[in-house]
Amino acid sequence: MIQLFHVYKAFGSNNPALIDVSLTVRKGEFVFITGPSGAGKTTLLKIIFCAERATSGQALVNGRNLNRIQDRELAYLRREIGVVFQDFKLLPRRNVFENVALALEITGFPLSVIRKRVHQTLRYLGLANKEGYYPPQLSGGEQQRVALARAIINNPLILLADEPTGNLDPDLTMEIMALLREIHTRGTMVIVATHSQELLRDTRRRIVTLNKGRIV
Amino acid sequence: MKITFLPYFIRQAMANIFNNRLVHLIGVGTMAIAFLIFDAFILIFLNLNYWSEERGKLLTMSVYFREEPERIVLEDIEKELLYFPGVTIKGFISKDDAMESLRRQLGNKAGLLDGLRENPLPASLEIILSRDKGGNSLPYQLKTRLEGIDIVDEVQYSEEWIERFQAIMEAVKIIGMVLGGLLFLAALFIITNTIKLTIYSRRDEIEILKLVGATNRFVKIPFLIEGSIQGFLGGSVALVILFLIYMIFITRVDLIIGFASLDIIFLPAQFIYFLLLMSIIVGFVGSTISLGRFFRV
Ligand SMILES: Nc1ncnc2c1ncn2[C@@H]1O[C@H](COP(=O)(O)OP(=O)(O)OP(=O)(O)O)[C@@H](O)[C@H]1O
Ligand SMILES: [Mg+2]
Repeated sequence: MIQLFHVYKAFGSNNPALIDVSLTVRKGEFVFITGPSGAGKTTLLKIIFCAERATSGQALVNGRNLNRIQDRELAYLRREIGVVFQDFKLLPRRNVFENVALALEITGFPLSVIRKRVHQTLRYLGLANKEGYYPPQLSGGEQQRVALARAIINNPLILLADEPTGNLDPDLTMEIMALLREIHTRGTMVIVATHSQELLRDTRRRIVTLNKGRIV
Repeated sequence: MKITFLPYFIRQAMANIFNNRLVHLIGVGTMAIAFLIFDAFILIFLNLNYWSEERGKLLTMSVYFREEPERIVLEDIEKELLYFPGVTIKGFISKDDAMESLRRQLGNKAGLLDGLRENPLPASLEIILSRDKGGNSLPYQLKTRLEGIDIVDEVQYSEEWIERFQAIMEAVKIIGMVLGGLLFLAALFIITNTIKLTIYSRRDEIEILKLVGATNRFVKIPFLIEGSIQGFLGGSVALVILFLIYMIFITRVDLIIGFASLDIIFLPAQFIYFLLLMSIIVGFVGSTISLGRFFRV
């Protein structure tokens, strides 16, 4: 469960990226966050997984107050949140297997378990034959799926996807959206940030629209 | 910290060293230079100390007689002296010998002595004591013993200059410790910055690890292992270079002088262990400091 109360976020003296944002997302919900470029979508997601701290206001995620969270607890919280970053954030000098395994290694699983889970997940996302590839050798769509694999391998309670179909053709877009729906049906809360109106046209899901940092 | 992490940390540290060979090479090189200066300083200091100890071990003692001793009496005294460990007889100086050497010392003013009716200079026996073998109380022991003999007038030994010399060595020691400390800090500073370079070159990785839920400690430990390995390598390289320089130096000195007249020692084993341990600690502390700076951001 995510609860934001009157969250402001300012970077220096610029116009604030988020203004008085209050938002509740319940367990297992599927929500789109939309709005034009620069509206504050990425910033909102960053507040949720605590990559940025709110300038003022309260943020509660899975019962934890993000204003007062300690290093260790923050690490545990992040293990409950899978994130597909807008710029993927894959390590270019580690191959696909290693990039995905990262999210399990930090939790101290034995190597045999890590291997099995990574193979499974990569197969699930159609990347079984790319394990040894390095990110620069992959297409944009493939990198996006590697990022998704890393985000879901831990069976997180919350999945945040920032423009997960950003530079994909319509077929791949459909494929990724289908994967996200499937992950959602397994009980994971999914939040997708996108500026694409295309993606939202036929959906009956909840849509939160941001404009210049405000929810409209 | 779960024990299952240990293989991961070591694997990670090794992989990181391999993947960042160049940065590591520069780091090890810089550390080696810093340690080399430090090690060389310790070596020089150690040799100074060693020489001074060698010097301080020997002490000259003069036994003055009331009158020219008879040969048999003299031989008895010499025989008795030689019972003491660490005693060597340097030689006997008769009244005439003493006058002769005084004349030589006075040079053209020796004429002053012509007016003397009899030779006022005492005969003496010069002996050398080794403190190593005889112990610190030997000079005093001998003095009381010899002064008990009728014919012996006075026994003198020069403790003064030894004390002065020791005072100088104490000062050198303090200066050495201060300088050594400063060099140590300089090495730590250089090392902290090199490690910062390593960390900086991997800030993306650190960021991502943190974002997927790694604890600070988990992110830091491979760096600490890396820093320690780097310190160990730097320390080892420094010692090897120092040894090579030492070898070249002593063979040169031998060539020039013709024989090993100067007794230059290399670092003893305990010092080598100590310096290696210290380089590991410096690597560890250096990475802790630079990580601290990095994580505060
Ligand atoms: N680290 C930062 N420093 C300064 N300003 C920032 C920072 N991050 C975001 N901003 C500003 O905050 C505003 C919102 O940015 P944000 O990335 O949240 O937009 P967005 O809705 O995700 O846009 P896009 O659709 O292009 O990804 C922008 O004006 C941006 O310039
Ligand atoms: Mg964005």
